[in-house]
Amino acid sequence: MGIAAPPRPPSVYSRIRRYLTELWRRREFAVFLGWGSFSARNAGTALGLVWWVLNPLLLGGVYFLIFGLLFNSRTPEFMVYLMCGMFVFQFSGQSLAGGAQSILSNAKLLANVKFPRLVLPIARIVESGMGFLFSLPVLGLIAVLAGVPILVGPLWLLLLAIPLQVLFNVGLASASARLVVPFRDLTNFLPYVNRVWLYASPIIWTLDRLEGADETILTILQMNPMWHLLAIYRGALLGSPWDWSNVAVFGLWTVAVFVVGVGVFVRYEKVMVREL
Amino acid sequence: MTRPAIDVRDVGVTFRPYVDSRPTLRRGFRRSQREVVALRDVSFTVMRGEAFGVIGHNGAGKTTLLRVMAQTLAPTTGSVTVRGRVSTLLSLGVGFKPELSGRRNVYLGGLAQGLTRVEIDEMFDQIVEYAELEDAIDLPVSSYSSGMFARLAFSISMHLTPDIVLLDEILSVGDASFRSKSQASMDELLSNSGTIVFVSHSMPRVAEFCDRVAWLNGGTLMEVGPAAETVERYQDYVSRRRRLRESAPS
Repeated sequence: MGIAAPPRPPSVYSRIRRYLTELWRRREFAVFLGWGSFSARNAGTALGLVWWVLNPLLLGGVYFLIFGLLFNSRTPEFMVYLMCGMFVFQFSGQSLAGGAQSILSNAKLLANVKFPRLVLPIARIVESGMGFLFSLPVLGLIAVLAGVPILVGPLWLLLLAIPLQVLFNVGLASASARLVVPFRDLTNFLPYVNRVWLYASPIIWTLDRLEGADETILTILQMNPMWHLLAIYRGALLGSPWDWSNVAVFGLWTVAVFVVGVGVFVRYEKVMVREL
Repeated sequence: MTRPAIDVRDVGVTFRPYVDSRPTLRRGFRRSQREVVALRDVSFTVMRGEAFGVIGHNGAGKTTLLRVMAQTLAPTTGSVTVRGRVSTLLSLGVGFKPELSGRRNVYLGGLAQGLTRVEIDEMFDQIVEYAELEDAIDLPVSSYSSGMFARLAFSISMHLTPDIVLLDEILSVGDASFRSKSQASMDELLSNSGTIVFVSHSMPRVAEFCDRVAWLNGGTLMEVGPAAETVERYQDYVSRRRRLRESAPS
């Protein structure tokens, strides 16, 4: 026997695999935690579960009143267009904001129990995903009432859009969760990021407003992942024009955001608790 | 043969807490560089079946040490090896959402501690019965008294069938009858070669309940030894220090 080699640290691949196994073992915790926060929000209110549907309804109504009146485009088509964009955007916007809070607001849990910390941002995705899920029938109802045809596009696109958006959101939430712990000032900043992102996405304005716009501005607007995600959703739900480049661009964004977001989060995970 | 349950090797922990101080232009947005050393070169081994106490002043590093053993806090230096399923009761009702019912909090707390949903389904009735909360389990936890809250949290932890329990100062949960019940559960755990690590300020309790004790002072380990003797030396030290302080001119 030769001289014993010093123990080699486990390879990156096996470390990732171990992490994912542990994360998968904790999936019920992530789902229950997200679901718990979602339903805790309306606990004790008189209307209770009705708020799950009423919230998106009121939100859409307010935006319709404001922007419908402001831009004087109170057509039923615009209302459905706006609500569709709003609900899809909210899912990602809430993930960004909620992810930032996921670590800070669970300091006690982090101090006491060992589990892959990625569970916390994922629970936030579950939470905002529940809201999104409940907003979809509301959208359908409004479209039917407004007489706007819905579910008229290639519906299989949703099978692409939803999983992609979930992964995109997980990356987004992890990145903001990681950044907010050492740079707490970001918590104050994030709502404005969300606001700018909302206005820069085709939600409260329609694409025909860009006719004759400067080429550079158009290019910048189209770098926004939300631009492409909305095109996919509206393609499926409202039968608006879409093409595969939307899927490709959003897919690339998803891969980048997911890998970077989850990567920086997991690398920081061990140190995080000492800086809370 | 006794085998080690927890092996703590040369553990040091340095915190970099978020310091609330007056911002200056020179420092700008940089995070404060102030560091707090909570533990320094701490080494000891806890054996299976042992009741192990940790004593020391406030701020001596007891809770930090428990968190390192719970593996929720990675040490800055050194390493910790834990063999067995750990249940932590460092503070009560971890993971609870007070707005939700006791029933749903049993699931939340159990899942947080690493149980599966099926496992919780199976032991749900036992948990509720042990906590003596049959009538209140569907009420929101925010309506519980602090005793009820503590009983529910404690009951969940005791039903995890842990090999190792890490306890911070909460053996005094609930009223007298619940206290004796929880004491009995601890004894049963110990007799099944389970391990308990116990942080407390109550020296009679520690001396009576623990086999061995680690004494921390300012983040360093003063000594590890049989409970009664170590507690005695600690108390000597405390009263000596108090006399010194009283005799010193102010």
